[in-house]
Amino acid sequence: MNDLKEIAKDVLEVSLAAGADDSLAEAIESTVHQVRYSNSQIDAVNSWTEKHVALFVAIGKHTMASDLRDIANAKESARNLVALAKSSPPKETYAGIASGRFKYKKSKLDSRILKLDEPSKFAHEAIAGAESEGAVNVGGTFFARHRRSAIASSGGANGADETAWVELSVRAFSQPEASGHAVSCTPKLSDMDARRTGARAGELSKMAMNAVTGEEGKHDIVMQPLFIGGIMESTSSMMSAFVVDIGASMYVKKLGKKVASNEITFIDDPTISSISARAFDHEGVPTRRNVVIKGGVLKTYLHNTSTAARYKTKTTANAGPLIPTPFAFPGEPTAFHPVVVPGDWSERELIEDTKHGLYLNHTWYTRFQNYRTGEFSTIPRDAILKIEDGEIVGAVKNIRVSDNMMNLWKSVDALSKNTQEIFWWDEAAPPSTLPTARARSMRITRSA
Amino acid sequence: MIDQDVADAVLRAAEGRGSLVLAEVRLEESNKRQLSVKAGEVSSVTSATDAGMNVRIVLSTGIGFASTNIISKEVGKRLVAQAYGLAKNAKRKTPVSLSSESPVRTSWEVRQRQPLASVSTDEKLKFIRDIDKSVMRTKVKVQGRFYSLSDHEVSSHFANSEGTHLNSYLPRVRMSAVNMVTAKGETEQSIREWGASGGWEKAGEWDLESVLPSEVLMLKKQIEKGKKVATGTYDLVCGSKVVGIASHESCGHPMEADRIQGREMSQAGRSFVSPEMIGQEIGSKYVTVIDDPTVPGSYGYYAYDQEGVKARPRYLYKEGRINEFLHNRETASKMELKSNGSSRSESYIREPIVRMANTFVAPGDYQEDELIGSIKSGVLMNSFTEWNIDDKRFNQKYVSREAYFIKDGELAGPARKCVLEITTPGFWKAVDAVSKKVEFEAAECGKGDPMQGIPVCTGGPMMRLRGVVLK
Repeated sequence: MNDLKEIAKDVLEVSLAAGADDSLAEAIESTVHQVRYSNSQIDAVNSWTEKHVALFVAIGKHTMASDLRDIANAKESARNLVALAKSSPPKETYAGIASGRFKYKKSKLDSRILKLDEPSKFAHEAIAGAESEGAVNVGGTFFARHRRSAIASSGGANGADETAWVELSVRAFSQPEASGHAVSCTPKLSDMDARRTGARAGELSKMAMNAVTGEEGKHDIVMQPLFIGGIMESTSSMMSAFVVDIGASMYVKKLGKKVASNEITFIDDPTISSISARAFDHEGVPTRRNVVIKGGVLKTYLHNTSTAARYKTKTTANAGPLIPTPFAFPGEPTAFHPVVVPGDWSERELIEDTKHGLYLNHTWYTRFQNYRTGEFSTIPRDAILKIEDGEIVGAVKNIRVSDNMMNLWKSVDALSKNTQEIFWWDEAAPPSTLPTARARSMRITRSA
Repeated sequence: MIDQDVADAVLRAAEGRGSLVLAEVRLEESNKRQLSVKAGEVSSVTSATDAGMNVRIVLSTGIGFASTNIISKEVGKRLVAQAYGLAKNAKRKTPVSLSSESPVRTSWEVRQRQPLASVSTDEKLKFIRDIDKSVMRTKVKVQGRFYSLSDHEVSSHFANSEGTHLNSYLPRVRMSAVNMVTAKGETEQSIREWGASGGWEKAGEWDLESVLPSEVLMLKKQIEKGKKVATGTYDLVCGSKVVGIASHESCGHPMEADRIQGREMSQAGRSFVSPEMIGQEIGSKYVTVIDDPTVPGSYGYYAYDQEGVKARPRYLYKEGRINEFLHNRETASKMELKSNGSSRSESYIREPIVRMANTFVAPGDYQEDELIGSIKSGVLMNSFTEWNIDDKRFNQKYVSREAYFIKDGELAGPARKCVLEITTPGFWKAVDAVSKKVEFEAAECGKGDPMQGIPVCTGGPMMRLRGVVLK
């Protein structure tokens, strides 16, 4: 880890010597192994390694950020960046970077993940698990990831972090239009049970057989954690002070107001053991547990130092990546690990207590016609099971949840006591810890 | 300057290992600059250079891919060893094969009249601020006004063990705009994108000082004057933006052969289309949907794909029938075909997969006002806001951003939040007339795992659909 700390420190010193008033350098090294499989066999095995430094500099209000990917010439690139910043136009809303005497928690690292020599075996186990429950076609991905980072800033940040985790996604088909999806993600290799994850997907695919087209109208929906993960990306993104600031959020002017049912307490918590646990945000501020919604009331937005100054508050240690990432606003504060605090229901009780509803395994393609008001739709996929008088009585297909996101969260009346860590592709993201939830009377639509 | 000797050394190392179906190496250098402006003030400025390489080894037992952000012979040889081991250990039941393609030795580039690298941040800021001022002059209340301008130059050298050597240079420029319009206590949103391959001269062609003020004025009118469409069956004219998104979502994606063959089954999904459906009717005879990477200056332009196959137009739906899938060498081989040059990746760090380029409906022979003038009672849906489609690409939904009632062949006031929720054949079979003028919109298409955002265009002429249900 000292190598990355040295790199971050060197780049910081060079940029300050070149004339930067504020500077922040985050050195990152990541190694990812991926196994992609479909039609019950492996398609490709990919591996990529990246080492780079994300650097931010400010001279007065003249700011500039860069991703220095040529590590051998990082110091020269840092000097060039300061020169570029001097000639760049000022950012009038710039309010400095975080400063303080920061102390960081040491992350726990499962070194067995680093030594994985045959990741393909997890894919084979997942396929076998799904097939044992009756699936005839299985696809998915297995990831083993290792990430080291070190941060140094003129504001006093000086830390290092190292994490590793594994992720498995299994989609199993028992018929061309009957599928089930299950995921497993964990920073502890011993918690990865690929066969069981595959079996869960296989079991759901059997329950989804012989689906009929669903009916339009109001239905209670029982949402598995994977489904909620699919709407978490937009929900948590709208909590970002930056997104609120540009008006593309249903949480505009909602601080202190009811934005969900009494059952909902939403916490962003990168400090618990999870695949997105991290010691510091992208400004070097130690991460912390932020209660964003408590008993349905919005308590705070997610902030970095600049947005916090604008809102006359303190950073919540949610500074996002310095360099723009696809499909995100550059520099926006971001949630790291959303947690919905569980309730006291068993999943069986949630179904038994539902008179007329749908049990939803998974969703995708959540899109908003109006971020400000929350009108949206999302497309349930994989097992969509019909509940009548407390029992699952069959499967349906070709439906859409077309409602209002604020209304959905306000309509949740029951949460399971068990939670699951969820991360799937870039749709059920960021990684989150979620219970099963029931929302009353959601609007279901379908193609005419 | 890319050191092509590295590629030769990598290929020699791969060939020394034997049993190859194919070895490929890609070396890439890029520059990316970005400026974001929020409500007239600088929000972020970034500038980054990148260089790296990947090696893809294809054995009969599997495909191995390894990449890193260093270019050197030593690193390249290490990537060969890594990718070879990954391919060998995949232990596929059915052997991997690739379509046979002729090797090529060539270079291609997109030229810039005004090089992107020569444009200062101040000049770009002025470009955005002038647009922002033009929006402000409308006096419409617009929150956000978040505008982001970026450009990206990519130079690459690709070589494979069959003798292909390709050099390329591709500059692109892109702008996105988020406008949240408020009137009478209500809000409407506009999230739009423009993009092109070429130099800074392309940004001027977008005419955003006129386009964006018109957009916010239109949204204000939608709020103030718009009326809900009563649920029922109508004749519908779709503007080019709606035609474009439908071309992309309910033709381009379901016609990707990797999806049809199941490779994306756990992410972007499968397809309602199967290989034996070639020739089957999917729309009316007026519907021809083309995916064409060779449209000059387009955001989705390329001359050769990332397997070294020459790009060409693909006629996906032709006169209402399923005609041709998008293929890379692996998917084409499974169907005993040649690749049609659809292999793309976001950057050297990710594996290339089957992707669209510029997907659009071919022009017809109607004037736009003829389409509207022929409708007694209907709706014109010019553009969309919310949209989505299921993962088999059969059930889609488009909610209007800009729509108007049509009464006796004339536009009769704004129709607000008009909803078309329809199946893929339901949409394409309802088309009975297509206009002459094709227009394009730029977009980033997401696919792959990890997600790869790829520059594309969607587009088309206006189309008339008869008797569809609107909500």
